[in-house]
Amino acid sequence: MRPLFAKVRIGEGTAALAVFAAVALLPVALSFNPYYLSILVSALVLGAVAIAWNVLGGLCGQVSFGHAGFFGVGAYASAVLAMKADLSPVVAMPAAGLLGVLAALLIGLPAFKLRGPYFALAILGFAEILKLVALNLDDVTGGSQGIFGVPPPPPLRLGGLAVEFAVSRTSNYYLAALLLLVVYASAVLLRRSRAGVAMATVHADEEAAAGIGVPVLRTKVLALSVSAFFTALLGAFFAHYVHYLAPDSAFDPSWSIMPIVAALFGGMTTLIGPAVGALAITGLDEFVFKRLFETGHQLFFGLLLAAVIVWAPSGLLGGRIRRPVGRSAA
Amino acid sequence: MVSGTTIVQSLLSGLLEGGDYALYSLGLAFVFGILRIINLAHGEVVVLGGYVAYWLLVKWGVSPLLSLPLAGLAGGAAGLVTYRVFLGRVRQAPELNTLILTFGIHVFIANVFLQLWTGDLRSIEVDLLQRPLSLGPIRASVGELLAFVIAVAAVLGVQLFLSRTRAGRAIRVTAIDRDSAALAGIDVARVDRRAFVIGGVLAGVAGPILGVLTHVSPGTGGPLTVKAFILTVLAGVGSISGLIVAGVILGVGEAMTVTFLSSSLRELFGFVLFLVILLARPSGLFGQKA
Repeated sequence: MRPLFAKVRIGEGTAALAVFAAVALLPVALSFNPYYLSILVSALVLGAVAIAWNVLGGLCGQVSFGHAGFFGVGAYASAVLAMKADLSPVVAMPAAGLLGVLAALLIGLPAFKLRGPYFALAILGFAEILKLVALNLDDVTGGSQGIFGVPPPPPLRLGGLAVEFAVSRTSNYYLAALLLLVVYASAVLLRRSRAGVAMATVHADEEAAAGIGVPVLRTKVLALSVSAFFTALLGAFFAHYVHYLAPDSAFDPSWSIMPIVAALFGGMTTLIGPAVGALAITGLDEFVFKRLFETGHQLFFGLLLAAVIVWAPSGLLGGRIRRPVGRSAA
Repeated sequence: MVSGTTIVQSLLSGLLEGGDYALYSLGLAFVFGILRIINLAHGEVVVLGGYVAYWLLVKWGVSPLLSLPLAGLAGGAAGLVTYRVFLGRVRQAPELNTLILTFGIHVFIANVFLQLWTGDLRSIEVDLLQRPLSLGPIRASVGELLAFVIAVAAVLGVQLFLSRTRAGRAIRVTAIDRDSAALAGIDVARVDRRAFVIGGVLAGVAGPILGVLTHVSPGTGGPLTVKAFILTVLAGVGSISGLIVAGVILGVGEAMTVTFLSSSLRELFGFVLFLVILLARPSGLFGQKA
């Protein structure tokens, strides 16, 4: 007998198409209300960071508790390059991504040499160290005062139409959406490449992977570098979007915690799941948790992480997507 | 120019602080050594013990030394609940899952503290323990000396428990070879649970000491867990008495960093030390080669 509700299984591509269609149309549905748009921009940034986190976590099987470090490095690097070196944000943002890669190599090369949880713990401390560096490099970062007046991306001229990013929430929203698309498309391409297959192999069984000639260390470092590049890139966008940086906001531990919640909640075995998770938890946070508690509302996310791991390790989409990216978290 | 007295003083402070670091790390090292679980909520359990002593002192004037057992009890209870509700259900799951799980519990408990008791830094202040003792120009407080003694006693106590008691041996055998232990009639699931609860008690007991020597706050736990892990790796996984040596290396190193370089670089020392061990001697000072 067939069950009443057969479990619907869809392809990764279909799910992604639905997500991006929704992302494109949401502002229209919300009649471009700036309050909702600003919440949605955070959701998109979180979604992109969560997909980047999941390239390392879901695809390669290495969990990072310190992505706030890469986010902060990207934010500061781009702001400083734009303001002190007079670079256009268009150049500064990818350059900031590369500095994120540098940070990734610094921590990844020593910590990945060993099997086991050393990387996870090392990066937990590393994010703190980077924040301390930002606090102490007063000349460059303004110390605890932070940096004011980070310039917005330059206006975009499309024919006679000029799109500005200084004030408009709508144009920033679509820029964030574009970044989300870029990160997602890169993750898809990476997964299809030889390197992506190597990452999934390392995830499934590290010893077997080494046995068949997969360069384990290099594969892990590559996954971390890709992940750090996009996380720093989004940090850079954040800097040019909010125009103000302080060590506490750029290196906010939320940037480490929430991508994990989003990826796990959405489904770590999928590529689009983390974006879905990000939209869902941002909604939960804004409209439920923050109304219950003004501070400390993250306690719900801590509990959510623990509960999802124990009772639903495949997340929202994990069981519904064909051809998962790695071994199921279960 | 740094004077000789300053150097001796910071050596002593570092040495004493190193003992405390060993105490703060004991619970994490124990659980990691036995169960191979890294409890990322370890620091929060230490902080919980600190809050217990703080409130007992503030509300009823209970001395932090008397609240040590209660703090241990609170830590043990936290361990039991964590194990029963969450960890015990995912013993077979990959390491990554346990890490994310305990990370979630860390975030949860830290925010519960914030919710209940705000982000204020709370110190346990007792005149007797703050009283300075001096030997010529060198100073240490009663509390610092007492804490060092308690730390060494706790580490040796755990070592003796593991080597001399029946329950301790059952735990060690299970850690070395689960299947053989089960065949020999040891209830391994019970041993796991017991070991995790002991880890909680050890963490809880460290809390009042932390509160007396520095302070506790919702943000104290996270960095404490990282330090505890650095010590565990430096000592060598499974080496409990090595924690004292590792703690002293970290404590003295930090004190020297402050004396000769800058206090803002203090936190960097532990981290650099960690990277050096990972690269040069991953099995730690007293651990067996993997």
